[in-house]
Amino acid sequence: MKDLTIRNLSKTYFDPYAGTNVTAVHDVSLKVEQGEFVCIVGPSGCGKTTILNMIAGFIPHTGGEILVGGRPVKGPGPDRGVVFQSFALFPWRTVLENVAFGPKMRGVRKVEREKIAHEFLALAKLTEAAGRYPNELSGGMQQRVGVVRALANEPDVLLMDEPFASVDAQTRMTLQEELTRIWQEKRPTVIFITHDVAEAVFLANRVVALSKGRVLEEIDVDLPRPRSWDALNDDARFKELSGRVLQLVRSA
Amino acid sequence: MKQFLLNIWSHCVRLNARWPSIGSIAPFIPVIAAWWIVTELQIFPRAFLPGPAEVVRSFGSLVYMGILPAYLQDSLVRLAVGTFWGIALGIPLGILVGLSQRARTALWPLLLFFQAIGDIAWLPILVIWFGYGLTTITVVIVYTVIFPVVLNTVLGVRSIPITLHRAAQSLGASRIRILWEVVLPGALPNILTGLRNGLGYGWRALIATEIIVGTSGIGFLMFDARRSGSVVEILLGMIILGILWYIVDSWILAPIERATGQRWGLVTR
Ligand SMILES: Nc1ncnc2c1ncn2[C@@H]1O[C@H](COP(=O)(O)OP(=O)(O)OP(=O)(O)O)[C@@H](O)[C@H]1O
Ligand SMILES: [Mg+2]
Repeated sequence: MKDLTIRNLSKTYFDPYAGTNVTAVHDVSLKVEQGEFVCIVGPSGCGKTTILNMIAGFIPHTGGEILVGGRPVKGPGPDRGVVFQSFALFPWRTVLENVAFGPKMRGVRKVEREKIAHEFLALAKLTEAAGRYPNELSGGMQQRVGVVRALANEPDVLLMDEPFASVDAQTRMTLQEELTRIWQEKRPTVIFITHDVAEAVFLANRVVALSKGRVLEEIDVDLPRPRSWDALNDDARFKELSGRVLQLVRSA
Repeated sequence: MKQFLLNIWSHCVRLNARWPSIGSIAPFIPVIAAWWIVTELQIFPRAFLPGPAEVVRSFGSLVYMGILPAYLQDSLVRLAVGTFWGIALGIPLGILVGLSQRARTALWPLLLFFQAIGDIAWLPILVIWFGYGLTTITVVIVYTVIFPVVLNTVLGVRSIPITLHRAAQSLGASRIRILWEVVLPGALPNILTGLRNGLGYGWRALIATEIIVGTSGIGFLMFDARRSGSVVEILLGMIILGILWYIVDSWILAPIERATGQRWGLVTR
């Protein structure tokens, strides 16, 4: 696990139909320490996915720099694991093979990588589902596979783009609690993107409020861990922090 | 009466459960019965429309003389060789065109152009180049199989969500591994569709080619029978075509589809 530094990052898209430039990200700077859990929160269209895709190396940035462990990002790589909103599991691979995919690409032997995969599946309570294909799982289970598939490859940074946006509210709460538990156990560096303020405050050490491609403010979340919705629902500090973030995001 | 019908029905269902192949034969029984009745009623002269019994008898004698097995083998080997090359060339070409914008710009117009010149339209010039032989037949079949395979492979490659490419990349897959781990399986359902179309067209092209340039094979058998006025053998040839296609489809293609695309939830059952 390593830290992540973003300096004066910007992105300008060229829209070939309108023939105009659209600047989606303006001069964003952010430092994420090793083992930190940072949530970027902001309204739809504020450039969250664009930022994440640049960190992941899926799209080039047009200004500034992105450093992982001091080294500039040039393209996608296994040092940055990604969890997708659409899960993006390989439909032709079983759950076990999906989770073992990263180690397989690293050249880990079959016995060894299946051991790793089983260990991570157990972490997400997915042991039963190991031999099944993704299309045989519920959305919530698929996304748990998506999370442990990224984790099993032991990336320096874990990037998550609204991973729980397409599951129902109850499942989402369970997934959030599980994610904080897994994070506490493995302590990966996480950048988590969401438009849900409560989700951001629940998960993060630090919330970065984003609007129209700019960072508005960074808010430290000093809530104790382990966190659970039962405990935090009526927690005054949680309410206060959520209220502040919500105000920030809405006022912009 | 109702009870009686129900009894028969339950009997059929049980029979079907024990020998599933009966279920696939059953639809043909009324067809054969109708054929038999028409011939028995002598609506058409016997020489024009022989009955099932005569066709079976002719089948027996042709098998006995060894002609049918030899011809059948010739046809199937030709189809297999042609299909093999069609696949071996078609899938890589389809993947190249599907993945590379440059290859697409360069090759797509050519593909469409040559696709339009139907397989058989090549026969006259192929006969001049290669003569009446196996080369000509193979070229025609490869030509027929390759287009549906290429076009469907391109479609399949391009229908793979970009997130799957990205997921593989950020899990550390190299471009070569992505080809094997993402592109090929992702395009497989479409490749199979292309193969099914290609084989179907290839099978027809084979028969047509054998009629024109062949010296053996099922197509030649039928054409030869026409020369000697043997309607029985023509009918036999037609029936064999149907049965063979049925076997190829239900014993080879359908099981592959069940084990891949359907299993993975990429195609609806
Ligand atoms: N490929 C593209 N070409 C042109 N403009 C784009 C492209 N992708 C995104 N944009 C624009 O950039 C801006 C930010 O988009 P982005 O997808 O990053 O928003 P987001 O914060 O992730 O929104 P959401 O919460 O809806 O996912 C939007 O105005 C969008 O229209
Ligand atoms: Mg987004």
